[in-house]
Amino acid sequence: MGLKLKALLKSPWVFHLSTGSCNNCDIEILDCLTPRFDIERFGILLSGSIKHADVLLVTGSCNRMSVERMKDLWEQVPKPCLVIAIGSCAASKGLFIDSYNCPVALDKIVPVNAYVPGCPPKPEAMIAGVVALITKLSEGS
Amino acid sequence: MTREEVLQDLQTRFGDDIIEFFDKSPHRVYIEIKPDAIVQFGVYLFRTLKARFNIASGTDIPPKIEILYHFIIEDINLLISLRIKLDRDNAVSKSLGAEIEAVNWIEREMAELLGITFTGHPDPRHLLLHEEWPKEVYPLRQDYEEWDETADRTRGV
Repeated sequence: MGLKLKALLKSPWVFHLSTGSCNNCDIEILDCLTPRFDIERFGILLSGSIKHADVLLVTGSCNRMSVERMKDLWEQVPKPCLVIAIGSCAASKGLFIDSYNCPVALDKIVPVNAYVPGCPPKPEAMIAGVVALITKLSEGS
Repeated sequence: MTREEVLQDLQTRFGDDIIEFFDKSPHRVYIEIKPDAIVQFGVYLFRTLKARFNIASGTDIPPKIEILYHFIIEDINLLISLRIKLDRDNAVSKSLGAEIEAVNWIEREMAELLGITFTGHPDPRHLLLHEEWPKEVYPLRQDYEEWDETADRTRGV
């Protein structure tokens, strides 16, 4: 693990990116960030700008319109950057597998580091996903 | 006006344009009208009877395409759905969006997803679909088939 990634894992700033989700996953992400679960205790902070982000939380099924925006954002995010696919749609296209508007899965567009399945996943599941990812990367060093 | 007065008024004023009048429940009335009369009828409901435009919905029911414009008169809690049926092969209707601003977006959506042409629409661009979406391909029609050969129908890595 390089120095950059080590520094990143100390306090990962997350950017919340919806690519056409139904908003349920987004509500659960907000649940994580707000006082009940309060992941800011662990140094995980919501970043308002993609240029300050370390981790992308991607929700939704990547439709034709939002994929272009996502590619733009991916070019702007400082590397190294971790991507976490939140929810069934982002992780495996969910029920939009045959949708006319969702031609490509998320992990065929950007590299995904962790998948959190569920429709929507519980805040506990998201925290577990982030912890699992951090543990994996730390052990990999 | 009470519920009965409103319905009576509509029947006397637009008697010739009404094809079917279906009084479903105390709060719900469906009125099927001739497609040509939609602008006149909708504007009368909206401006004179002060109805609120709720939403419009389109459905492909071969051999017709059906549009429902839902108006609510809140004072008497009555939902009036104007139903028009268009030919599937030649789905052209007058645009209500030119008269009522709120209809603008939903007509754009119906135009791209169902292939209905709204004549006189102030802004006939795509609303939801990509600008490069092929012409004459309408995803919510019953006979829609996959056109994109590059589409990957797997669940990813």
